[in-house]
Amino acid sequence: MSVPMGSQTKIEEGIILRINNLHTYFYTDIGISRALNGVSLDIPAGKVMGVVGESGCGKSVTALSCMRLLPKSAKIMQGDITLYRPIKKEQGTSRIVDEIKLTDLDPMSLEIRNIRGAELAMIFQEPMTSLNPSYTVGDQISEAIILHQEVGAEEAKERTIRILTQVGMANPTAIFRRYPHELSGGMRQRAMIAMALSCTPDVLFADEPTTALDVTTEAQILDLMRDLQAAMGMTIVFITHNLGVVAQMCDYVAVMYLGRIVEQAGVEDIFYNSKHPYTSALLNSIPHVGSRIKERLQAIRGVVPDPYSSIQGCPFHPRCDRAIPGICNVRVPAITQISEGHTVRCFLYSEKAEENNAS
Amino acid sequence: MGSYILRRLGYMAITMVIVTILGYIIIELPPGSYVESEIARLRQQGGNLAPEQIQSLYKRYGLDQPEYIRFWKWISGFVRGDFGQSFAYNLEVSQMIWSRLALTLVFSLLSLIFSWTLAIILGVYSATHRYTIPDYLITVLQFIGLAVPNFLLALVLMVFAQDVLKMEVGGLFSSAYVNAPWSIGKVLDLLNHMWIPIIVIGASGTAWLSRVMRANLLDVLNMQYVQTARAKGLHENVVIWKHAFRNAIHPLIMVLGGSLPGLISGETIVSLVLNLPTTGPLYVNALLQKDMYLAGAFLVFLALALLIGNLGADILLAWVDPRIRYE
Amino acid sequence: MTDAVTTVPQVPPIVEEPVSEVGQLSQWTLIRMRFARNKLAMTGLIGLVIMYILVFLGPFFAPNDYTYQNSDYIFGGPSEFTFIGPNGRFGLRPYMYPMTTQLDQAAFKFVFVVDKTKKMPVKFFTKGDPYTLLGFIHSDVHLFGVDKPQRVYLMGADSIGRDMFARTLMGGQISMTVGLIGVAFSIILGAVLGTMSGYFMGIADDIIQRIIEVISSFPTIPLWAALAAALPPVSESFTALDRYFLITVVLSFVGWTGLARQLRAKVMAYRSADFCQAALAAGSSDAHIIFTHMMPNAASHIIVTSALAIPGMILGETALSFLGLGILPPMVSWGALLRDAQQVSVIVQHPWIMVPGVGVIITVLLFSFMGDGLRDAIDPYSI
Repeated sequence: MSVPMGSQTKIEEGIILRINNLHTYFYTDIGISRALNGVSLDIPAGKVMGVVGESGCGKSVTALSCMRLLPKSAKIMQGDITLYRPIKKEQGTSRIVDEIKLTDLDPMSLEIRNIRGAELAMIFQEPMTSLNPSYTVGDQISEAIILHQEVGAEEAKERTIRILTQVGMANPTAIFRRYPHELSGGMRQRAMIAMALSCTPDVLFADEPTTALDVTTEAQILDLMRDLQAAMGMTIVFITHNLGVVAQMCDYVAVMYLGRIVEQAGVEDIFYNSKHPYTSALLNSIPHVGSRIKERLQAIRGVVPDPYSSIQGCPFHPRCDRAIPGICNVRVPAITQISEGHTVRCFLYSEKAEENNAS
Repeated sequence: MGSYILRRLGYMAITMVIVTILGYIIIELPPGSYVESEIARLRQQGGNLAPEQIQSLYKRYGLDQPEYIRFWKWISGFVRGDFGQSFAYNLEVSQMIWSRLALTLVFSLLSLIFSWTLAIILGVYSATHRYTIPDYLITVLQFIGLAVPNFLLALVLMVFAQDVLKMEVGGLFSSAYVNAPWSIGKVLDLLNHMWIPIIVIGASGTAWLSRVMRANLLDVLNMQYVQTARAKGLHENVVIWKHAFRNAIHPLIMVLGGSLPGLISGETIVSLVLNLPTTGPLYVNALLQKDMYLAGAFLVFLALALLIGNLGADILLAWVDPRIRYE
Repeated sequence: MTDAVTTVPQVPPIVEEPVSEVGQLSQWTLIRMRFARNKLAMTGLIGLVIMYILVFLGPFFAPNDYTYQNSDYIFGGPSEFTFIGPNGRFGLRPYMYPMTTQLDQAAFKFVFVVDKTKKMPVKFFTKGDPYTLLGFIHSDVHLFGVDKPQRVYLMGADSIGRDMFARTLMGGQISMTVGLIGVAFSIILGAVLGTMSGYFMGIADDIIQRIIEVISSFPTIPLWAALAAALPPVSESFTALDRYFLITVVLSFVGWTGLARQLRAKVMAYRSADFCQAALAAGSSDAHIIFTHMMPNAASHIIVTSALAIPGMILGETALSFLGLGILPPMVSWGALLRDAQQVSVIVQHPWIMVPGVGVIITVLLFSFMGDGLRDAIDPYSI
């Protein structure tokens, strides 16, 4: 396999997944919804990257686009997604890298199916409905193992029990034979995590995995994920709207609004040095301990616009207190680098507009 | 699972008792018993039944005794295998029903298998290929299947078979084979005569079932666990047939029990038109002639067949859906 | 990067769209609108209206009286028409070729031969057989016809020479109303028992459920047949009309179970719903809760279930009459008319004898379209 210069750089920079100017549109009876409108994201290997935003901003669609799990009504119109796979050679220290453009693959093809589960895995929000009620937990996990690791049923069962132990299940041999409806919410989510990690994937997409759980269980699951991530050196893309969880879990954060990434930085920078007005507004809207009782919560002015409408200029400007008339409502800001690893899309920090002014 | 079956059997027994009571009431409904009208008719014609015959008839059916005694005589007869006597044919009812009942059940079962297989295929196909032309065609066929009365369909198919396919229709065998010994030819002839009944009896069931199948599968395909299965990297066929279908089939099995009456009903009329030696024609004739013991026995037996069928469907449902077992 | 934040003049607010009308409309108006958008449903509705007008004004639309027996036209086929007049020119007025009987020497039976030499003009609003419409309108004007002694047989004649078209229209009067009345009885029985079962639960529920189970254990048509066979023969004290009503009762005897089951489920679900608990806590009586709170919620469901049950009733009556257990002559229904079509040999030679069947199919299809449309309009989230 040839080693393009670029990929060498990528793996040295430690990037495992690169999303480049992704446009994903949904074609429905009512109109076209531009779910992703130019998303560019570099996901560092072995770290936890959080993707935050309000409902409908496109966080899940980003993950689904990477996994090529979009419904038939969605199309990737523009842009690409590249997965970099490190292949360690025994001799020498040169790390050859294999890169594969996920967007080039047919969503039904054997190639992408080999990648799903084995290299890219995903867990979903509702543990209740994410597991098939008609098969035992053990069956469902073994299924993935048999598919990707080409072992027999016996060996798969061994590995399943091992991974169930790793996710902290008390009695893995018994759990193997249980049906999903016999488990509690927390146990189901552990089972889901076990299923996703059973084939030791390189990247795990976690789409709001703890939103449906109570806070105690949530804390346990987050701890578990943190431990597993450290133990396996796995990359996690953690999608959530809960900034508290972000603070606890993530190394890097990307803030999304209406199909674009408006700010991207290390977790410290996002919380203490945010630049984009939306990020600041989000942080301000969190009620904090110690605030005066009679103080009103600071909601962000306005509502999330209809995804079928199009807004000219920066998508956030109608709700932005610091919008510059004549600029913000006319052109779309380009990505500006604030510092190492910290980028923003805002005219407050740049005069440059994005090249394709698609609105 | 075992306790579940026992409970259902218990319920079935109770229902069975009530069914026999209702069956008996129905038998007694027509004004005037056959015996009395028969006696009256014979007297009119000048003949007469010998007093001993009248006495024995009266005694056998307990016509001189109160209702519940008569009911008890009838029921206890069941256990002994004595279902009374058919007035019109002057034969024991038990002689007449077994072979016909068996054939009815055979046809119903074959229709069931045929219509289910077809419904599943059509339903899954139209759910996974929405808004395509075959999907619309299937929808049209479904509507027609539901609207056409099955005896009409039988007639149309018979005309078609006779005119276009130049086949001899009606009955189980062609005239050439009726009394012939069994051979390959005879078996083929039998099959030739069976396809019309099987298609017709199952037709409306197929139409309705495939719509339910389509609706259920569409529901299930929206479920999160289908997406999880895809995310694992499974082939789309595996996702649909192993994961989605398995859950979409539950409501179908729930209505499996409910579709059985339609099968037996349909078989009744269709066999009349097609001249099949099943319960249908005999039952209807019995009713028309007020031969109530024959009709009543048939009715109760058909109800029993249905109850057993429902039990089978419930057990099947419990086996397929683990959640039901714990109710 | 310069700090470009200065006091920024207030950004003009987004122009608000006018408040949508949708929020202001009543539930029933919304249902009507959704129904009207559904082309298939509207086809069903309009088609049914047309059919009902046709059958109830049947004697007017048909050129012949439905009981008139024409011995010259036994099993005669449909009349043939042409639009080319006697002068050889194509026009708008249809002309009928009369049929005559001739003796076929070879097969030694009478056959019908179309006499293409004579063209009889089809006249509109002609005088024909007298009739009574809707019980009180006496007339003898028919929509179309030809001069006596010839008659138009749009759909041929049956075994004693009666006009199939006229008979089909008349049969429609029975067939298309039996379903409606039967469903009405079913609704009453099913709604009352189902609601009681679901609301009071306990023993009442158990008993009603067992009854439903028992009735459902019987195969439908054999059960109907048995009940219908129990009806006394038509006589002075028991007219054909009485028989008609009792047949509808028989049909609804089995039909109510479906509605009862569904209503029971709904009522049980509503019972534990918050609005019901609130009413109970406020001191409302059971009857008040049932009628004021639950029934309106269930009303739409009842309507849909009824509309979808009508085809079943129509098919049921057709089947029963076909067997000879339902509507008996001289009353006509489509099923009774189809009794003449039991032999394949007859059908092969005289296919027009099956025309009443077409009536059944069309009516059931139209009701199905309308019922489906109603269901989608009332509950767009179900499938």
